[in-house]
Amino acid sequence: MELFSLGLEHVLTLPALVSIIVGTILGVAVGVLPGLGSVVGITMILPFTFSMGQIPALALMLGVYCGSVYGGSISAIVINTPGTPQAAATALDGYPMAQRGEADLAIGWATMASTIGGLFSVVVLIIAAPQLAAFSLNFTSIEYFALGVFALICIANVSRGAMSKGLLAGAIGLFLATVGVDHVTGDMRFTFGSFEMTAGISLIPAIVGLFALSEVFIRASESTRVKAVIAHKVGFRLPPLSAWKPRLWLLLKSCTIGSFIGTLPGTGAATSSFIAYSEAKRSAPNRDKLGTGEPDGIVAAESANNAVTGSAMVPTLALGIPGDPVTAVMLGSFIVHGLAPGPRLFTEHLDLVYAVFLILVAVNLVMFVVGALGAQIFTRALKVPEPLLMTMVVVIALIGAYGVRGNALDLATAFIAGVGGFVLRKAGFPLAPLVIGMVLSQMIENSLRQGLLLTRGSFLAFFERPIALSLFILTALMLAWPIIRWLRDRNREARNDIKNT
Amino acid sequence: MTIIKTVFAGIVGTLGLGTAALAQDFPAKPVTIIVPFSAGGGTDITTRTLAGPMAEALGGEIVVKNTDGAGGTIGTAETARAKPDGYTIGMMPVGPMTTQPHLRELPYSPDSFDYICQAYSAPSSLVVRQDSQFQTLEEMLAYAKENPGELNYGVQAVGSIPHVAGLGLASASGAEFTFIPYKGSAPTFKAMLDGSIDMFVAHISFLTQNSDQVRSLAMLTSERVSTAEDLPTAADQGVPMNFPIWGGIVAPKGIPAEAKAALEKACEEGMNSEAFQARMAELRMPIAFMGGDEFQAFVQSEFEKNDKLLTEAGIKK
Repeated sequence: MELFSLGLEHVLTLPALVSIIVGTILGVAVGVLPGLGSVVGITMILPFTFSMGQIPALALMLGVYCGSVYGGSISAIVINTPGTPQAAATALDGYPMAQRGEADLAIGWATMASTIGGLFSVVVLIIAAPQLAAFSLNFTSIEYFALGVFALICIANVSRGAMSKGLLAGAIGLFLATVGVDHVTGDMRFTFGSFEMTAGISLIPAIVGLFALSEVFIRASESTRVKAVIAHKVGFRLPPLSAWKPRLWLLLKSCTIGSFIGTLPGTGAATSSFIAYSEAKRSAPNRDKLGTGEPDGIVAAESANNAVTGSAMVPTLALGIPGDPVTAVMLGSFIVHGLAPGPRLFTEHLDLVYAVFLILVAVNLVMFVVGALGAQIFTRALKVPEPLLMTMVVVIALIGAYGVRGNALDLATAFIAGVGGFVLRKAGFPLAPLVIGMVLSQMIENSLRQGLLLTRGSFLAFFERPIALSLFILTALMLAWPIIRWLRDRNREARNDIKNT
Repeated sequence: MTIIKTVFAGIVGTLGLGTAALAQDFPAKPVTIIVPFSAGGGTDITTRTLAGPMAEALGGEIVVKNTDGAGGTIGTAETARAKPDGYTIGMMPVGPMTTQPHLRELPYSPDSFDYICQAYSAPSSLVVRQDSQFQTLEEMLAYAKENPGELNYGVQAVGSIPHVAGLGLASASGAEFTFIPYKGSAPTFKAMLDGSIDMFVAHISFLTQNSDQVRSLAMLTSERVSTAEDLPTAADQGVPMNFPIWGGIVAPKGIPAEAKAALEKACEEGMNSEAFQARMAELRMPIAFMGGDEFQAFVQSEFEKNDKLLTEAGIKK
């Protein structure tokens, strides 16, 4: 309790509070703008944090981090362009809702789900950070491989339309991520002799092209006259409590998935939101309507991706291992401020750890307010004349694509991905599986090959590890689930028939 | 005639003034330092720490730009190709400068640059978990010789200095390791904590920050490190090795001599500043300034040394 009040003392200062608010607003803004994601946001503020005090610097970075993970959902809903890769699953149901004229309600669901997900993960962080960090060390390359294979099932679950097209899109995604350096041998793959290609195809420019630019191309290709006029509601509408009730279990499950994935370094919010969405497709109350503008999808994706924010701090703080590029930058800034993360942090600087907890709580609450107020502005984007809006999207998307690593090739990547995305969409291919493929490809390939080096080439040894084996079995069960359900329903029907007769 | 003379004198005068003005006016606009790795990493933080005091000494602005990708080679190539006017320079670490060119065709070599200064040189260390069964390098090497290939040696990237150091250790001692490449230092550190690997090479600030989880088996330096006198070197334990993880400022070849001199002076003054020295002391990093000429000769010798090790190990392509 004493430490709690010490932490509170750290946070209840003007610079810290201002940082929380400014950071969160900035985070939501970079999240909303396609391409300018969490990494660009945190890189932008990094130089400022050097000259700030320890706590305000932490507050600013955590604000940007959490805000940006949430902000991506808004553009996913409003213009069918996930502002960040983490929000790719949100577009699946968010945009259809907006098309029905319910953007205000969709943002309401996303904001509530994000805030609850974020707060849930802070609670997890407070209760069990050292234990979870210790548990995450049970995950070697072999377990990562098993988790990656498990996550691949999402491809089947987020595909709309023909399953063959979904699987093909997923395979394209897996393949695209193999371009560039082979991390196990150092060889170059599919670079066609071009030096620039050795950097590989970066995720963010590809997503910017696939979603944002292809959306622009699609709209430009459609006739402007035949469009139905939809009465878009401007603003922010919270779903009533009665609508939340049947979805509580879904919410809790998605928060848990997000919080767990977050504790594993090297995975992240994009993976967790797809896994949660996939689980929703299997078991959510309205699973059959998923993909057509069903709040269940938004709730699952948004609570899971924001639940990563708090738990991603678990390995960062407790082990000194950053989980993703964003927490890596944060870790760098901690070190600049003379703070050495690791087990020692929890014994020697517990007051700072508590300050981080409190900052995260505050950030999530501020995020809710920023979302509610911001929605007034963002939903107005739907009323902006389309040519103007689309031009802005192109400019911002290209700035984002270039900004991630300052490589001019990324502009070409974004453009080609835009044309590719346009062709794929016209041909009825879903884009979400492609993103899943790109996100998981390197994790699956590298962990498999590292795992084989560790077992000296034995595949059998993969099944001797309990966690990996459980994940493989779970994968098999998930794949067989439609058959299991079918059999169950048939039995039930048969029983009912017997009863009736 | 007088008119021509006047005009001529005018031209000469302007030209003369022009050169004089150039000497004083560098920099006339912000100088960009390219860091070939992402923001928040060791190279980036050192660069940003130095950028402030160096800009002050230069009397201008310095912007840090991160161009990440392909083991740092993308940003290094960008520096080599930049306009040689002194306004685009790069903080180039040992890897992209002296190991990557041996691994594949790159659009640059050490000859593509003018050398400004060495900005840091972190002693590297062979680290193990705190609870490792090995207390000394000799114990570990003896075990590795008895059980060839049983110990797992993690590397942050194929052909990186930690990898080259491991190859050097194997060739100098006759021990055999299984090298397991990860993608970057965070996953390598994780693999060590989860028990996948037995050891890896990190630089001294990593050791300082994580001293409750890892310890040094041997410093890979020719002499004991001034900021860590208590840690024995590999040489102390019978295997002479020296693998510093260094980096320095370079410019595309052919920058104006005035700009080069101004940058070199600013680099030295920046490194002598209190702010920079205090930060380095916290990380237990020795200050390692080298002037342009000395740095160039050093890079060349490192280039040849790593060439030899990579060729011997059969990794050179």
